Amino acid sequence: MDRRHFINHSAAALGLLAGFSGQAKASLQKAEILVIGGGYGGATAAKYLRLFSNNTVKVTLIEPNPTFISCPLSNLVVGGSRKLSELTSSYDMLSKRHGIKIIQDSVTSIDPDKKTVKLASGKTLHYDKAVISPGVTLMMNSIEGLAQANKAGVTLQAWKAGSETTALHQQIASMRDGGTFAISIPEAPYRCPPGPYERACQVANYLKQNKPRSKVLILDANQDVTSKGALFKRVWAEQYPGMIEYLPKHNVSAVDAKTKTIKFEIQEDLKAEVLNILPAMSAGEIAVKTGLANSNGRWVNVNFINFESTAQKDIHVLGDSIQVAYAMPKSGHMANQHAKVAAAAIVAELSGWEVNPAPVLTNTCYSFVNDKEVVHVASVHQYNAAEKTFKPAPGSGGVSPGPSTLEGVYAWGWAHNIWADSLG
Amino acid sequence: MRAMYLKLLILLALCLGLSSWSVSTFAQNLDASNLYKRSLAATCANCHGTDGQGVIDGGMPLINNLTSEQMLAQLKAFKSGAREGTIMPQLAKGYSDEQLEIIANQLGKKQ
Repeated sequence: MDRRHFINHSAAALGLLAGFSGQAKASLQKAEILVIGGGYGGATAAKYLRLFSNNTVKVTLIEPNPTFISCPLSNLVVGGSRKLSELTSSYDMLSKRHGIKIIQDSVTSIDPDKKTVKLASGKTLHYDKAVISPGVTLMMNSIEGLAQANKAGVTLQAWKAGSETTALHQQIASMRDGGTFAISIPEAPYRCPPGPYERACQVANYLKQNKPRSKVLILDANQDVTSKGALFKRVWAEQYPGMIEYLPKHNVSAVDAKTKTIKFEIQEDLKAEVLNILPAMSAGEIAVKTGLANSNGRWVNVNFINFESTAQKDIHVLGDSIQVAYAMPKSGHMANQHAKVAAAAIVAELSGWEVNPAPVLTNTCYSFVNDKEVVHVASVHQYNAAEKTFKPAPGSGGVSPGPSTLEGVYAWGWAHNIWADSLG
Repeated sequence: MRAMYLKLLILLALCLGLSSWSVSTFAQNLDASNLYKRSLAATCANCHGTDGQGVIDGGMPLINNLTSEQMLAQLKAFKSGAREGTIMPQLAKGYSDEQLEIIANQLGKKQ
């Protein structure tokens, strides 16, 4: 009997004793983890997989963009009081400080059976665990004429921060004084519940100073304001009287690029100079394509204890793409929190330890109502083992009593810290 | 001969297995418990920095100058309402006392 055989036999006996299934399983040292998408969810997952494994597990991050641009705070760029460069961070520290391999590419397909990922460059990569955080897909076909209007350059969404964000500001800056800016909101759930209302404030803040005869029209498919409702309504009445008009239950069905007309399911047509039409959203394209969107074909059901897809083993899904638990918003802060729960669970699983049976998530969301004052909403979500979901902790959470400049300072403090926590 | 060899092997594996299993399980439990504590404290990192090391002059109050005792006292004061604030009173109420204690032990300044 040689040494190798002895070790193999002993290991088998040990495995039996420890109650292992005997199946070959990737260990922490040998596992290859691919993180797809470098937003708030993906970047945080990559970093915390390294931190929680004491830099043991091998992590590769695949992200098509050269830099990280924050969606939170990007409404300030739409309103013109901040620049996109102030919201841009480098991915460098993830490789330099944390030893993560970064590939600037996009994933064209995932084969869950072979456990491989195909990149646009043609390369194929193997994974033991895939963590995907692909954000949202804007469902252009849900509104008639929207794809054509976008193509003609008449409408744009700017719901993913980047060149569209500055382009939308340009459209508003070019609008005549006395013109109308219209923003339409799809039925919830969508990315960033208070985002459209914050944007309305930022556009109004710009118009108040530069084109005071103009109007902001909010066309909301929902019954009422979906987040911080009382606060936003108070701000609209007090800070932008006569400028912001809010129309609930207005579900956009079509848009005509030539005449800049918005059509609704029920109400009469409306016209506006600048049209910011936000269509319904679904999980990121790669999640849908891989067959992970098993909640109405739109969102990904996950096991909340480790954020593993219920459709495919060893694929963990984070952030805006998931079918959320009750009162869980689709936000950057929440995606960062998902990532930490998933990273800890993956490290525990690969180490052969019990996965934390009681994870916790928090959410904090600051909205700027002008260029300095802010209102927040916050919540804590504790895992409920009996119901296998996260539930808001009783008695916790809430909103600001009113807008304040102190919270404006905290909002920037939040941004600098979450960027450092996710990418630094 | 083969049967004897097998018996010997099983006996050896059992001894070796049991001893190393219990030792490694102990080590694993310690590591697993550390991971649990780190992941719980990581819920604070979005605003107060990874491992409590916040961005200096970033606009958010720094917490890394507090000892674990001081931090726990503040967290409990936020939870009870004795200390006012913007977000912290709302968040502290969402954690159990035991969770707050773990967080304070994890993020408090080491002496």
